[in-house]
Amino acid sequence: MISRTNYTTQQSPHFEILSENQKERIFNGMMRTLQYTGAHVHHEGARELFKKAGCKIDGITVYFPPELIQQALASAPVVTEIFPWDGDDSKKITIEKKRSYFGPGPTPPNFIDTDTLERRKYLRKDASLVARVCDALPNMGYVQSLGSISDVTNGLADVYEFADMVRNTTTPIMSWSFDRNGCRDIHHMGIAMAGSEEAFRHKPNYVFYGEPISPLVSDFHAIDKCMYCAEHRIPQVYSPCAIGGGTVPASHAGQLVVALSESMVGVIASQLINPGTCVIIGGVQSILDMRCSIYSYGAPELSLLSAALTEMVHYCNLPMYSTAGCTDTKKMDMQSAMEASLSINAAMMSGANFVHDCGYTESGLTGDIFQTVMDDELIGMARIIEQGVEVNEDTLAVDVIHNTGPGGHYLYEDHTMEHFRNHWMPTLMDRNSYEAWEEQGRKTMKDRVIEKTRDLIENHEGPINKVPAKANEEIEKILEQAEERIAQTA
Amino acid sequence: MLTLKELLITYNHKYNSIMSTYLSNISETLISGKGDELKKLIESAVNDGANPGEILNQGLLPGMDAVGQKWKDGDMFMPEVLRSAKAMSNSMDYLRPMLKEGDMGNAGTMVIGTVAGDLHDIGKDLAAMMFEGAGYKVINLGIDQPGESFVNAVKEHQPNILGMSALLTTTMPRMGEVINSLKEAGIRDQVTVIIGGAPVTEEYAGEIGADLYAPNAGSAVEITNEFLQQAQ
Repeated sequence: MISRTNYTTQQSPHFEILSENQKERIFNGMMRTLQYTGAHVHHEGARELFKKAGCKIDGITVYFPPELIQQALASAPVVTEIFPWDGDDSKKITIEKKRSYFGPGPTPPNFIDTDTLERRKYLRKDASLVARVCDALPNMGYVQSLGSISDVTNGLADVYEFADMVRNTTTPIMSWSFDRNGCRDIHHMGIAMAGSEEAFRHKPNYVFYGEPISPLVSDFHAIDKCMYCAEHRIPQVYSPCAIGGGTVPASHAGQLVVALSESMVGVIASQLINPGTCVIIGGVQSILDMRCSIYSYGAPELSLLSAALTEMVHYCNLPMYSTAGCTDTKKMDMQSAMEASLSINAAMMSGANFVHDCGYTESGLTGDIFQTVMDDELIGMARIIEQGVEVNEDTLAVDVIHNTGPGGHYLYEDHTMEHFRNHWMPTLMDRNSYEAWEEQGRKTMKDRVIEKTRDLIENHEGPINKVPAKANEEIEKILEQAEERIAQTA
Repeated sequence: MLTLKELLITYNHKYNSIMSTYLSNISETLISGKGDELKKLIESAVNDGANPGEILNQGLLPGMDAVGQKWKDGDMFMPEVLRSAKAMSNSMDYLRPMLKEGDMGNAGTMVIGTVAGDLHDIGKDLAAMMFEGAGYKVINLGIDQPGESFVNAVKEHQPNILGMSALLTTTMPRMGEVINSLKEAGIRDQVTVIIGGAPVTEEYAGEIGADLYAPNAGSAVEITNEFLQQAQ
């Protein structure tokens, strides 16, 4: 093998929105905002924590000194791993710079019924269905529910969701909860699946998602859950939905400043409580459509802002929770495919760590597993571009080219056998001849997406029968206790 | 020498032409959302002897109608509409004491708030501004409001509209609870209840017994006005 000095065999595409100077200015904008504007923290305990760490407090407003922010950033971990509960490391998540995992999103009230294809309320059965389908999709690196269960005891949608999902997929879940109680129940279920508290601490099997309110407000439950996760070293997301022109400035740089500042409150809280605990920031970054007054999930600005924020978050040496694969359409159509294609490709190029909302339609109000299945295909395609071109003696293949010569073909070459499987193979895209397409029933993309999704629903069993009996028992017990808790408070 | 009659005709003519210039300027300035300019314009119109009722009915209201139409047609955007609405509401505050009975000036009274447990207020505030712009007197209770504060506000202010919003699926049920509290207090029939918020749907509004649902702040006024007109 010929060796070469300082030679990169594989260069993946280089995609950057911001220059070093721009990043510095946005970062400084965040520092100034947190120091002089501050953030509302509706939690006495958290304010006490910040006060002890040197923050100025005025009522519910907390002002963060720059050195405290730097200190928090310095103690956040560089790498964190999330382990599938069944021990199969092929689905392990490594949270480090430039490693992307795509998944659905949390909590829309509605869901597209997989039989009728109509919008309806999200039901308990949908959580298992989403988990099972995503379990089978190779490009869904983690799972969220795509809804908020409407047909269980009010206030327990979070707990039932996790209980059902974790037993229907080995792909790590990103969970959410209403408050600390739900957060703890989910934690205990994670422990049940891991086998023990010690095992969970060593190998966490889910990530928790929490959200402050934009602009610059951490409500009681958001920061309370953040504190719980930090105390127990549960990897967590703390990120807002920033609405350009609504909750944050309409200028993109201003949006990045506020979005970063909002998340930083959670970063500082988590690192003060438990230095080195994993905290992921970012969130949905898009604009308020000033004509329809909706928060657009298909806007090109979503991709631009998400990619720029990814750079900022990585500049802070933190992992990024980004957004793609979502749409403003109400029904699966060309618009949903167009918007998802663009955002998935941009998110992939940006190297965000978790990319959520694959399967969000109607501007985040309806979960659609069909969209998730279509997104899975798009992510596969985008990954090919992201992988770039490998250049070495073998891939240059000059000898093979010489042996084949002008006018020959490569179909019979060993070299072809070794390499052709690296080509991406569609599962949904149609490349048939006209005749084959006609013979197979002249199916459109929509037909094929429905067919594939329904096939997975019918035939992919998932790991439900592999769940240890003890874990099953414990989860059922946690659910019973949660019901009792709600009954008592009612 | 002009006769007195001729003088009066000339004066009236001049007055009318000055007034009609004022009124069309008021409309245009309102449409362009320039609040400070509008305030000065209305003040000088009043100083020049303009009738406050005319300023309202022939200057401001046609201006707001045009804003509504432009918004509907996609020729005006949310921030522009809000500026016009704010300018309208400030003008009304100035004119209201000078208006006579029959000059309209008050489309109604609205109490609006975000329900308990919910700190989201942008949509609710947008709706409040739009109602103010449409000539409603708006009492904005703020965020995280318990049921009794809605009930008390309805008792105190006697509004014809009660608006509630929720952004969380957990706080949505609070809106139904407020409606039940209104029933218990025997004042449910006094108000038209309109609800909104991202996860709220028309179906949900029906379930909890709200009268109206608006998918966004921009459409809330129109939906309410249509309902009130039909009810009359």
